Amino acid sequence: MVPRRLPMNYKLLHIFRNTPFGRETFLQSLHFCKTINAHPVVYIPKTDKFLMYFSNDVVQVNLDNSFLAFPDTAHEHVIALFDEAGIPPRFYEPKDFTASTLPDISSQFDYMCSPRSISDRSSKIGLGHLGPKVRRMIKQATFPILIASPVFKAWKSISVFFGGSSNAMNALVLGLKVAIASGCPLKIYTVLEKDTEEVYRNMVRDSELEELVDQYVNEWCFYESTGFDRMLYEVPHDSLIVLGAYGHGVIKEILLGSKMEYIQSTVTNNLLVTGPNCRISLK
Amino acid sequence: MSKLKQTYNSFYAKFFLFDDRLVLMIAGAVVGIFAGLAAVALRLSLASVLEFFTPYRQYAWAFILPGIGALFSCLFLDKVMREGAGHGVPEVIYAVSRRGGLLRFRSTFSRLISSFLTIASGGSAGPEAPVVMSGSAIGSNIAKFLGLNDRQRMTLVGCGTAGAIASIFHAPVAGLIFSVEIILGEWKFVNIIPIAIAAVAGAQVCEAIIPTKELFQPPPFSIFTGDILGSIGLALFTAVISVIFTRTLRKVGGLAKRTPVSPWLRALIGGCAVGSIGIFMPMVLGEGYHPIMEMVGGTFPMAFWLIFLGIFLKIFVTAITLGWGGSGGIFAPCLLIGSLSGVVFYKAMMFIFPNAAVTSEGAYALLGMAGIMSGVMQAPLSSIFLIAEITGGYEAILLLLLVSSISSTLSHIIEPASFYFKDLIERGEFMRPGTDARVLSDLSLNEIIDTSYTTVSENMVFRKFINIIRNSDRNHYPVISDETGDYLGMVRVSSIRKYTLDPAFYDMIFLNQIMDTDMVTASFDDNLHDVLEFMETFNIDHIPVVDHHRFSGMISKARILDLYRRELIMQTNIQ
Amino acid sequence: MEILISELCKSLGVSRTTIERWIRQGKLPVSQKGRTYSFHARDLKNWAAKNHISLNLKPRPVQGPEAEMQVSLSTAFETGGVYHDIDTGPDVPSVINACVERIKAVPDNHKTDLARQLIKREEALSTGVGGGIGIPHPRTPLKYLEQPMVATCFLKHPVDYHALDKQPVSTLFFILFPELKFHLHLLSSLSLCLRNRQFSEFLKTCPEQSELIEKIDALHLTQKM
Repeated sequence: MVPRRLPMNYKLLHIFRNTPFGRETFLQSLHFCKTINAHPVVYIPKTDKFLMYFSNDVVQVNLDNSFLAFPDTAHEHVIALFDEAGIPPRFYEPKDFTASTLPDISSQFDYMCSPRSISDRSSKIGLGHLGPKVRRMIKQATFPILIASPVFKAWKSISVFFGGSSNAMNALVLGLKVAIASGCPLKIYTVLEKDTEEVYRNMVRDSELEELVDQYVNEWCFYESTGFDRMLYEVPHDSLIVLGAYGHGVIKEILLGSKMEYIQSTVTNNLLVTGPNCRISLK
Repeated sequence: MSKLKQTYNSFYAKFFLFDDRLVLMIAGAVVGIFAGLAAVALRLSLASVLEFFTPYRQYAWAFILPGIGALFSCLFLDKVMREGAGHGVPEVIYAVSRRGGLLRFRSTFSRLISSFLTIASGGSAGPEAPVVMSGSAIGSNIAKFLGLNDRQRMTLVGCGTAGAIASIFHAPVAGLIFSVEIILGEWKFVNIIPIAIAAVAGAQVCEAIIPTKELFQPPPFSIFTGDILGSIGLALFTAVISVIFTRTLRKVGGLAKRTPVSPWLRALIGGCAVGSIGIFMPMVLGEGYHPIMEMVGGTFPMAFWLIFLGIFLKIFVTAITLGWGGSGGIFAPCLLIGSLSGVVFYKAMMFIFPNAAVTSEGAYALLGMAGIMSGVMQAPLSSIFLIAEITGGYEAILLLLLVSSISSTLSHIIEPASFYFKDLIERGEFMRPGTDARVLSDLSLNEIIDTSYTTVSENMVFRKFINIIRNSDRNHYPVISDETGDYLGMVRVSSIRKYTLDPAFYDMIFLNQIMDTDMVTASFDDNLHDVLEFMETFNIDHIPVVDHHRFSGMISKARILDLYRRELIMQTNIQ
Repeated sequence: MEILISELCKSLGVSRTTIERWIRQGKLPVSQKGRTYSFHARDLKNWAAKNHISLNLKPRPVQGPEAEMQVSLSTAFETGGVYHDIDTGPDVPSVINACVERIKAVPDNHKTDLARQLIKREEALSTGVGGGIGIPHPRTPLKYLEQPMVATCFLKHPVDYHALDKQPVSTLFFILFPELKFHLHLLSSLSLCLRNRQFSEFLKTCPEQSELIEKIDALHLTQKM
């Protein structure tokens, strides 16, 4: 009798905002988890700030008041949404506190869902502004962060933005992992900056991903260096975009700005972002 | 060229990451300098504002000043810095024992400003704890900038603390000892040198900017035999006062939590209460360094009963300031209460034994300071060295030793936890390296769990199962549901032995008939300490870990022993 | 020499999570290249010596059934050999002596000693398991043997072996081994074969070595299912 491989228990941290806007974000988390066989764990905030300790940084997240709205109904709303999706409800209660009003939220999750901005006024939420805390978390987290689109959109395909950096490789592995788990079609998009197509294809060949790429990638679209915006338009609106962020080094980032900022302010898709400290394994 | 670069790189990498003594020393010096600057900045600003406010204090409406100060301080911390209010030093200790010394960047300056607002307006608090917090945060963030690991970061946090204390009191040895005794909790050779360097750097910064050497400039004094008895008596007295102080702090803080007012209003009310008392006895306002200086110099003008009353007023006022929204530390109030106690005791002693051969009143003020500090913070070493360095000499070291050790021991007996540690101990967060709690907190269930168990289906025929156990050495087989994959129960070979030996059963039973469904399980949400206690209580040595109905693995006592030992060795032996 | 994290896990006997935590806490001497960590054997040894930690850089022995050490029954049979038409006296000692004499794999200078051991064993309790089969074996391992083996001896005439079913014995399987751990395994494999009715009938035909081994292989295959 062969020992059966048990399905991995992937957990996604979701910080619930008890408003219609928060409901959209949560629906996104639920859909994501259902599709890739993970499980959302909901934290209903009782204080307006919390800390997340990573291995080299502690990030303080200040939630705006909408996160603390209507605490009496929050719990039942969450359960109702869980039931609707057919997933058993799971909640997260912080156990450690740095100060009495400052809970520590564990960073031992496999995914985390965040709206585009956590700590700013609703006017900035729509598009355009990626809160500074979200950026810092992406830099430090060992798990990918799902930046949900403002309105719930069930994604049907996966688009990996592959830029060739080590972080982009991470994104590719993650994209493959999601494709394998969800069965959705996967496409890779690359903007040719300085190198040719061959260079990128070789990168994949040299890694151990070649077989998986052959098996799961439907198409690999290349664009010239001026075609960035065209590429963004051509990515289907209902596709999950998987990309790596902040892998390029501090100087380049300051001078050239971050691609990720630009992307997330231009497209409405859900973004699954891997930071430089992410480690994705295909097991 | 590339070979050179290679050698340089490997040299640098090795140097930097592991054999990092030089890097830590340099970084420690930098941290000490910055911490010292922070301390000096706060001290100077407080001194100048004190001068500014003095003419206004005689007015009746001046009672509102501390209220406004506390209000602004509270608002600043809450609204501008969004920093959860807490006492600084316990937060640093928590960071060091649980979080590898990670502190937020905003802590490098937030407490400085908030305590400035509180103390300058008259609130009864000390500038030392905020400076310690700033210094530690500076150390932590410099470590973050350099990309150091936990151990190195904790060393730099210690450097920050040492630099801060060294600078505020111009007492480098006290800085070093306080850092190791209170913050880090362990003497390790790798730590001592960078921290010592930071302490010296901090003290030098102080000296460069504020030229007067000692804080309180005591006149020289000599010791007599009668002082030994006197010191013992003083120690007993200060122990009692220390306990009263600690308990008052806690009670008033508790009262604040129960008062249903918004935090800012609370700060305002508390500050006004402080201000009102301050009108009656202005000595209790602020840090109180000025009265201390007078007492140490033997020139304090107040009458005996007023001084005695002053002790309790100061206790009360400090408790309100700190408990009701103000920001600051208890060092300076301890010093003031200590010197008041010392003077009171001296006066009482001189009244009862007018011809006793004892030293001066100023000396007793100093000894009182040592007594209260030892009693409240239960840090006898830090107190001894601080007072010794403040006095600029070690003449009184014998008496200091007496007073400190007796006071701290006695107050420890009455009140087992010091002010800094009480909160942490109650939350179970006080973990010194090499302690059971620390080992258990570092180990996680993930590291202990053994996942290499073969699972079996509930509908498996016993005969098939026999075949499995024939070829394996396991005693536990988790039974899984065929449809949902959920954990249903456990087959333990030891319990079903009798069936395995009787072939008549082989085709007659299915596994779900012989599985144990009562076996207690643990989950990843449980902490290791509870799981262990549980295993002890019920005398089980294997426990399955089931996470939301999914079997993940098992935890065995044997494995825990292995890993526990390893962890303990790693925590205590590593130089 | 570089050591990977996975090897270090095995040497120290801890999980990968633990190693990563110790790296983060600064307790292990590690060199970092980009995102991967590697260890140098020399650094590790220095560190272990300085901190009085026992570090065994060779992989730890695995406890439990050493499945890989087991020699298959058919190999044992091949090593031992099959001998036919052995002429013996009517009692157990003469049977033993005659068979041992024939077994090629046993060095000549040890044959008498081996025979003596086997006879002693039979005196304690007969190894005739019934159905005309006997399984003589010594109590202690034979250090001079390189491999474990099963030597098959078909007797010319059946002999009274004081067997369990009181039937005379005409087939003997000598189980000889250099280490005890082989003994049980071979014994159990063999008894499994002998329980098979077809096999015991087959034995009565005194087959040749190659046929015998073929039959055993086939039997094992069906049993693995």
